[in-house]
Amino acid sequence: MPELRRDPIVGRWVIIATERARRPDQFIQAPSEQTAEKPCPFCEGMESHTPQEIYAVRSKGSAPNGPGWDVRVIPSMSPFLRIEGDLDRRGKGIYDLMNGVGAHEIVVETNSHVANMADLAEEQIAKIIGCYISRIQDLERDERFKYVLVFKNYGVSAGGSRVKHSRSQLIATPVNPKRVKEELVGARNYFDAHERCIFCDLIRQEIEMKSRVIVEIDGFIAIVPFAARFPFEIWILPKKHASDFVHLTDAQKGALSKIIKTVLQKLKIGLNDPPYNYIIHTAPFRRQKTGYWRTISEDYHWHMEITPRLTRVAGFEWGTGFYICPVTPEAAAKYLQEVAT
Amino acid sequence: MSELRRDPIAGRWVIVTTDDPNKPGDYDHEEPHNWRPGACPFCFGNESSTPPEIVAIRDNHTGPNTPGWQVRVVPNKFPALQIEGDLERRPLGMYDMTSGIGAHEIVIESPYHHKDLSDLLDSEVTNIVHMYCQRTLDLERDKRFKYIMIFKNYGPGAGASLEHPHTQIIALPMVPKSVKEEIQGAKNYFEYRERCIFCDILRQESEDKERIVLENKNFMAFCPFVSRFPFEIWIMPKKHTGLFCQTPYEQIPDLAVLLKGIIAKVKKVFGSPAYNFIIHTSPINSDAHSMDSYHWHLEFMPKLTRVAGFEWGTGFYLVPTPPELAAKFLREA
Repeated sequence: MPELRRDPIVGRWVIIATERARRPDQFIQAPSEQTAEKPCPFCEGMESHTPQEIYAVRSKGSAPNGPGWDVRVIPSMSPFLRIEGDLDRRGKGIYDLMNGVGAHEIVVETNSHVANMADLAEEQIAKIIGCYISRIQDLERDERFKYVLVFKNYGVSAGGSRVKHSRSQLIATPVNPKRVKEELVGARNYFDAHERCIFCDLIRQEIEMKSRVIVEIDGFIAIVPFAARFPFEIWILPKKHASDFVHLTDAQKGALSKIIKTVLQKLKIGLNDPPYNYIIHTAPFRRQKTGYWRTISEDYHWHMEITPRLTRVAGFEWGTGFYICPVTPEAAAKYLQEVAT
Repeated sequence: MSELRRDPIAGRWVIVTTDDPNKPGDYDHEEPHNWRPGACPFCFGNESSTPPEIVAIRDNHTGPNTPGWQVRVVPNKFPALQIEGDLERRPLGMYDMTSGIGAHEIVIESPYHHKDLSDLLDSEVTNIVHMYCQRTLDLERDKRFKYIMIFKNYGPGAGASLEHPHTQIIALPMVPKSVKEEIQGAKNYFEYRERCIFCDILRQESEDKERIVLENKNFMAFCPFVSRFPFEIWIMPKKHTGLFCQTPYEQIPDLAVLLKGIIAKVKKVFGSPAYNFIIHTSPINSDAHSMDSYHWHLEFMPKLTRVAGFEWGTGFYLVPTPPELAAKFLREA
C-alpha cells in the first residue's frame, strides 16, 4: 500500500510509492558524456572575461579582477532581475505587476576548473559559506530587498550550465517568495500552538527515530525528510535553534562545510555524480520587528535543502502540488548512511 | 528591465523577461528519445499486456480487451495510489500520514502509436474528451475521493514513460495543495467582489486581445498574463462552469477543436516538444462550495526550460518569453 505523508511545515502531501517503489541503487546515474570545453571564463587568469567582481576572498596584495583569489563573486551575465531602478508597483486591469528590480550574483567557488562542490576541500567550502554571508549582509542594506536566496544548479538537468566550473548563485528579491512565506506561516502557526520551533521538534523526533538520519557532525544533522518530495532529498539543519543563516560562528562554518562535503560526497559516490540543486532557506530581512515578525527568530529555523534530480516532475505534480516519491525516505537514508566517503 | 507579475488567483509572483526576450529558436529543448524497447502495450493486439479495460469506445461486435477500439481506459499497471481499502489517517509522532487510497487510470487516446491529439480527427479528439468526462462522473460516485485530476505527460522530458499517447486520471482522497490555493484565492476574490475571478480574467483577455491564441463560441485559449512557463496556454470555458464534468455535451466538440488546435500550433513553432497539460476543476464530495467562485480550466505547458534551484527555493518562476509575444508567435503559426 502506498503511503501519503504530510509535510508538517507547509502542509504539502507526498505520495511515497511502495508498489512501484524502486530500489535505491536503481537511481545510480549512467556516466555522463564528456564534452569538449571551451576556455572557461571562471578559471583563474580569465577574470577579464567576466563582469567586474563585486566581492572576492583574495590573497594579500592581489588586485581586484586579477588572479590571486579563492572565491569570487560577480554579477550574473544573464540576470533575471536588474539592480537599477525603482519597484514601481502598479495595476493593469485586474492584474498586479512591478519592475524586475533585484540582484543576481554568481559565486565562483574555486579558481581551478573543478565541477562539483563535493570535490572541494572543507576549508574552501567554509570560505564559500563566508562569502554567502558577506553578500547577504551587504544586500540587506538595500531597503528594496526582502529576501536573498542562495542556490546551486549542478548539472544540466538541474538547470545548470554546460560550463563545468563549480559555482552557486544569489538572488535578492523585492518580495518575500511564496515558498518561503508558506514555511514561515507554517512555522509560526506551530509556534502559536506549542510555543516551540517546529524544526527543533522535527530534529528531536528524527534523532529519536534514527531511520531517516544520514549523518550528524558537530552540531549539524543531515536527514531525508519524512515527506520527501524527491528521491534522496536531503535537509541539513543546525541542531541548535537559529533563524538566520548569517549568524553562523567561524566554528559553525567549519562544521557546516564538513557536513555539506560529506553529504555531497555520499551523493556523488552512491549515485554516480547525479545532477542536484541546493537552496538555503533562512529568515527574511526584518525591516520591522512587530506584528508578523515578532516571533520569527524563535519560530523559524534556517536549513539547507539538497535535491538530486533523478526523476522528472510531470503533469500530476504541476497540477496538484502533490509529489510522488518513488523511494521511501527510510530506504534512501539507509543507502546514503552506508556509502563510505 | 524585466517585469514581476503577480498571479491574481494563487498570489504567486513570476519574473517575465521583457528586454531581449527569448524567441522560439532560443530554446534548446530537443532531448534524445530513448524509449523502452519492446512491444507497445497500448497498440492493437497487445490488449492483454495491460490490466483488463475499465471502459472503451469500440466497434460493434468486438469484445473487451481485444482490438477494434478507438479510445480505451485501463487501470495503471503501476499505480501511484491503490483503489482497495479504507482511508486510514494516522499520526507518527509529530507527523501525519494516511494510506494511499485512490484510483489511477490511463486513457489510451487512440490505437495509433505515432499520432498525437493534433494528428487525430476532430471527432476522434471529441471522443477522448467525452471519455474524460465519463470517467470523472463515474469516479465521483466513490465517496472516498475528493478530487479528480486529469493530466497528460507527452514526451520523456515531460515525464512520460511510454511513447504511445495517453492521458492519466488520478482520483485523490484529499484536495491537493495547489488546487486549494487556487480555490482559496478565487473564494477571496468572490467574497470581495461577488464575481468569479476567472470570468473577470476572460473579460479582460477578450478586451486586451494580445494574449489570445485561439477562440471559438464556447472556449478561449490564451497565454495567461502570469504564465509560469514560456508558451504556457490556458483553455477556459467562456460560460462560468465550476466542474469540468458539467461541460454541456454539445460544447465538447468546441473544446476538442481548441485542444487539438493549440497542440498543433505549439508543434508548428517548436517541432514536437515535450508537454504537460492538466485540468483544474472544483473538488467533489465535499462541503467546500466553490461552484460559484471557481471555474474549471485546462493548463497546457510545453517543456522548453528546466526548473532549477531558484524556482524550487522560492516558488518564483522565470519566464524568458513574455506571454504577449508567445501568443503572437502562436497566433501566427
